[in-house]
Amino acid sequence: MSTPMLTTYSMWSLFRNCRKACDWRYQRELVPLKRNHNLNFGSLIHECLEIWHRDRDLKQVLNFIDRACPNRAQEDREQRDWHLATAMMKGYAARYQTEEFEVIALEKTFKGKIVNPATGASSRSFVLAGKVDGIVRIGDEFFLLEHKTASQIDADYLERLWTDFQIILYAWYIEQTQGLRIAGILYNILVKARLQQGRGETEAEFEERRRILIAKSKTGKSSAKRKHPESDETFQDRLCAKYADPGMFHRESLYISRDQFRSLQQDLWELTQNFLDARRRGVFYRNTGFCFHYHRPCAYFPLCRSGGNPNIIENLYQQVPPHEELRDGESIEETPAF
Amino acid sequence: MLPTKKTQPKQDLADLTVLIYGRSKIGKSTWCSQSDGALFLATEPGLNALDVFQVPISSWDDLLAACGDIAEGKHPFKTIIIDTVDNAYRMCSEYICKKFKIEHESDLGYGKGWALINNEFHRVLTKMAFMSYGLFLVSHSVEKEIETRTGKHTRIVPTLPDKARKIVLGMVDLILFCDLEITKDEDGNPTYRRVMRTKPSPNYEAGDRTGRLPETIDLDFSKFIEVFNMPATAPKVSASRSQVGSGDKQSKVPASAGK
Repeated sequence: MSTPMLTTYSMWSLFRNCRKACDWRYQRELVPLKRNHNLNFGSLIHECLEIWHRDRDLKQVLNFIDRACPNRAQEDREQRDWHLATAMMKGYAARYQTEEFEVIALEKTFKGKIVNPATGASSRSFVLAGKVDGIVRIGDEFFLLEHKTASQIDADYLERLWTDFQIILYAWYIEQTQGLRIAGILYNILVKARLQQGRGETEAEFEERRRILIAKSKTGKSSAKRKHPESDETFQDRLCAKYADPGMFHRESLYISRDQFRSLQQDLWELTQNFLDARRRGVFYRNTGFCFHYHRPCAYFPLCRSGGNPNIIENLYQQVPPHEELRDGESIEETPAF
Repeated sequence: MLPTKKTQPKQDLADLTVLIYGRSKIGKSTWCSQSDGALFLATEPGLNALDVFQVPISSWDDLLAACGDIAEGKHPFKTIIIDTVDNAYRMCSEYICKKFKIEHESDLGYGKGWALINNEFHRVLTKMAFMSYGLFLVSHSVEKEIETRTGKHTRIVPTLPDKARKIVLGMVDLILFCDLEITKDEDGNPTYRRVMRTKPSPNYEAGDRTGRLPETIDLDFSKFIEVFNMPATAPKVSASRSQVGSGDKQSKVPASAGK
């Protein structure tokens, strides 16, 4: 008998949202050739938080950020990530000098069977694996620790946490595999500051601005001075001041209802049956309503638009084994760092 | 209107959509001019040295008008060559800006201007590709630094904006990269050979849906046709995925792209 296929929540979520995208990623193992920077910042912060919660040594965290951004002197994007991560982690360390929880495990992976809740039988075709950011104890209760970076925390964002089925499902698996009763989820949210480093203006830009000011001035003169680029030190100070604001960090605890476990198991079982059917018939249809779900084209949009043209596959995509999140802790980020 | 029989794979080069790109003056237009019943939609003056049929195209309206005339079919031409597709895209951009009374694509906000241009560009090229003529799209090449998961490297790509490039790559059957292959003779002097690269590589974009072409072929239309019309034997292969070497005799390193 063949070994069961390793699956993750990301795979099932993608299958539910767009079967074709799931086919491209998990059957054909294709990913865009170009690196997605939106994922990089989230991964960087996840790793920083792991180091911090493990050793509580800010210097070690900042050294890690330095090493993670080796080309920041030449690369604007890397420089922005470095500035933001540095200020964010300094702010985080200051904000949470002491913790209300005890860390039980960090970056904990698990693998478990997918069970049909109606019969209690395990799937012979699939197993589910995943990774949680942490398991913590508050008093005598265990919580999953879930790190998130967000552009802003508003009512909608906090409301949406209730629909975070992935982490609830993971809680059930952690219970099954680790033998801990998970009371709820502790969301650890870090806000990405939107500050931009002042780039200054060129001589030509300054002259143009000055000309406009003089034209508007009654005296025909202007005392305007050329704006020079903001230094790294000044920008880092500005970011650190921003991160001194307690609103840049937020912790939200949600308790899990036991009923949710059962309905999620049912959903997951249903998805496995649909996947088996799709695979047997070789039919993975597109959900065109999902192509621009994050207000940008899906990673596989050029491929679908071309009808799966091999020229597109060979020039714009590469083969990468699935379930990278089990290897490097990537999390799906929806917005760029700035 | 449902079909009663399957369509057969296209056997004739004049049925295909081809993107041919490379540095200036390497011989792209000359190569295209030798295709069967060639008609150039010339968006730039560069065909003076060639004895060809051409329609000067100075705006997107001109291109639409020419396409309309071609679609009527009252002509002997079999292969339509847009030389260059880069200029055609620029004209498309100007056309949309004029139509929506804006100075720049970004003036409409939220990327709407870019989307309108890409949709118009895609619409017209798709319509042309569906006509019963070969469609050759000529483009210049540019070296572009791309960042992959494993690091950065330089790649030679057609000089089209990213989104337009993806549209074109997704439409074409052949992506032919015209390159200079540098080898050394017995005395160690460099010798140059004009070639076409037909298989994808980390260092340039290329592709062959037909599977008929070797990885590298001389930039010579008669040799190309000879190979193309041979019965297919070898399965599709990709160019070597190894990193760029130092340009010695064995390595197939592309010369740097033109502007």
